[in-house]
Amino acid sequence: MKRIVSVLLCVLLAASVFANGAKEQTSSTTPEVEGKRKMTIILRGGTYGKVIEECLPEFEKANNVEIEALDLSFDDLHSKIALNAVNKEGAYDLCMVDGSWMAEFTENNVLLNLSEAGYSFDDDIIPATESICKVGDDIYLAPYFGNVTVMLYNKTLVKAAGYNGSDIKTWDDVAKIAKAANAAGKNGYLIRGGSPDNIVSDFLPVLLANGGWVVDGNNKPTVDTPAFRAALAQYISLYELGDTMDKDDIVAQIDNGSAALAVGWPGWYVPSAQSNGNYTPIPSQLTASSASYNTALYGVWCIGVPSNSANKDLGVKLLTYLMDKDVLLGTVKNGGVPCRYSSLTNAEVLKTYPQLATVCAALEKGVYRPVIAQWNDFTTILGTEMDNIIKGTETMDVGLARAQAELEDLMAQ
Amino acid sequence: MRSMRSGWFARLMVLPTLVVLLVLTTYPFLSTIGYSFTNYSYLKRAATVFIGLQNYVKLLQTRYFQLAVRNTVVFTILAVVLEMVLGMLVALFVRSLRRGQKVMRILLLLPYLLPTTTVAMIWKMMLSPNYGILNQALSALHLPVHNWFMETGTAFPTILVIDVWQNVPFVFLLLYACLQNVPKRQYEAARIDGAGGWQVFWHITVPNIREGIGVCALLRTIDTFRLFDKVNILTGGGPAGTTSTITQYIYTYGIKNLKFGFGSAGAVVMTLLVLALSSVTIRNTLRAS
Repeated sequence: MKRIVSVLLCVLLAASVFANGAKEQTSSTTPEVEGKRKMTIILRGGTYGKVIEECLPEFEKANNVEIEALDLSFDDLHSKIALNAVNKEGAYDLCMVDGSWMAEFTENNVLLNLSEAGYSFDDDIIPATESICKVGDDIYLAPYFGNVTVMLYNKTLVKAAGYNGSDIKTWDDVAKIAKAANAAGKNGYLIRGGSPDNIVSDFLPVLLANGGWVVDGNNKPTVDTPAFRAALAQYISLYELGDTMDKDDIVAQIDNGSAALAVGWPGWYVPSAQSNGNYTPIPSQLTASSASYNTALYGVWCIGVPSNSANKDLGVKLLTYLMDKDVLLGTVKNGGVPCRYSSLTNAEVLKTYPQLATVCAALEKGVYRPVIAQWNDFTTILGTEMDNIIKGTETMDVGLARAQAELEDLMAQ
Repeated sequence: MRSMRSGWFARLMVLPTLVVLLVLTTYPFLSTIGYSFTNYSYLKRAATVFIGLQNYVKLLQTRYFQLAVRNTVVFTILAVVLEMVLGMLVALFVRSLRRGQKVMRILLLLPYLLPTTTVAMIWKMMLSPNYGILNQALSALHLPVHNWFMETGTAFPTILVIDVWQNVPFVFLLLYACLQNVPKRQYEAARIDGAGGWQVFWHITVPNIREGIGVCALLRTIDTFRLFDKVNILTGGGPAGTTSTITQYIYTYGIKNLKFGFGSAGAVVMTLLVLALSSVTIRNTLRAS
């Protein structure tokens, strides 16, 4: 009897395994919860995703849909979107995408062609922010959160150096303020540490001001050049007047008056008239007499619909709703930074958030990171070598020569 | 006939376990080995081809991988030695208590019960250069303060201290359990013979819990070798690669960039290194058992 029961249990166990598999295969493509359709969206954690989540209830109500939002870190978001992309039917119906992933994702058909789905841009969107979102004339993403590098500063320390925020016009001014703050026992300038990507992003505005860039017109790496060397030497001299920190500590130091200056992003910090910190455009010139360059680096968070979404119609509808002028205007009070003139030049908005004028100016002439599928590897190689040079474990000659050779290998693959 | 039938029945009973093991352990293991000989990139699966030993050659020639291996080995040796010594001291101390052993056991276990992410965040706050309690205390004592996770001289020892802090309770718990099995009459006999504290420890305690020490060291070696969460959260392998470990390297260069072929080669090399490092303990443990 025992034996029969045991055999039956084995058969049941095996049957249950296959039954689960069968259920998996035949499950509905559009799950419904109590008559509602269910969507899953995948967002960047922090203010970027939070402002979207706050807009969802109205859409859910109007469309009888239930939306689950997942907040993830930068790396996790990239991995999850990519891992989901190879499934015949994806788990996500809308995703937040960093501009630097665009080439890799469109090359591998990760994103839905929004133009074919009937979506188009209107004239209110800041034109420069659209460029990363298109391949030819086809739209794959919509610029949602206007993240662009700005110069964070502490009002008191800048004033003590004889400047106002709006007076910081050149990198020479930055160095003078940093020196004054350093002489007063504070951190003059903070650079961002941590991942190689953070290190590269923090440095790129300085490189741009020196007239350099990481690749040439043919995407050949250009990191062992006089401009790059000059920029890195300047960056290290600023670091020597301060320290290296992660994002949270940079914001805290600027706000509590322990540091004078740092490159930052609007999503990190929402200043007010009473706050100790504020931000101003990144200086575009080294000195008052030198050439001027676009130095604002885009980190615009875009939104798109995965090409394997089970609810493409709803995904596009949600994207269109989130990009609506009025919906985006409503996100400003929660820390949102729309890429729309109607929000960033709105007189009422600017009364409360005057710093958005700075952001608008930066968004109009920002620079996107190179649109190359190997960008993740590129920043890992370059950021690692830069970290060694900055920390003094490697000379600039050796580090940049290695980076150049490795990057050339990478781009040749 | 009956024995043949019972043999068939026994094999049938083992089958579910075998299937589960094959699906969950053997298949992924063999897949990893297989992928390590290909250029498998997750988003370009259709373009996957066999590339022989290229991944291994590239891996072993890369100085960042060599640095990661060196860091991992040094970290593992230091962490395991410190954890074993401190765990043993704590276990002996708690066992010597006449009252409050239960309370001490629970309190001492708390760090081990916390998720690694929580541990990392707690220490990140405590060691923050802005509002961290440690820097504030050092500052109050007019001692130099540090940016603990961002300075090349402090990042590695700081991660080591955090790892030891979290894992000493595990060692303590295992050794404390072993100590309960040491016959009391041996201690009494030693005391009658006039043995000192060190002699009692070395000639009675250690021989009696030798197997426990071996198993504990083996488990800690394997676990420490896979160190990832703390490094990834607190330093990302920096500054200047001083805290990069093998798992962090595999994550950065293989998993994060979806180059699973290269990442698999790293995982295979790591497995071989763990086996090499723990082989002595495994052999001794098997011999003893």
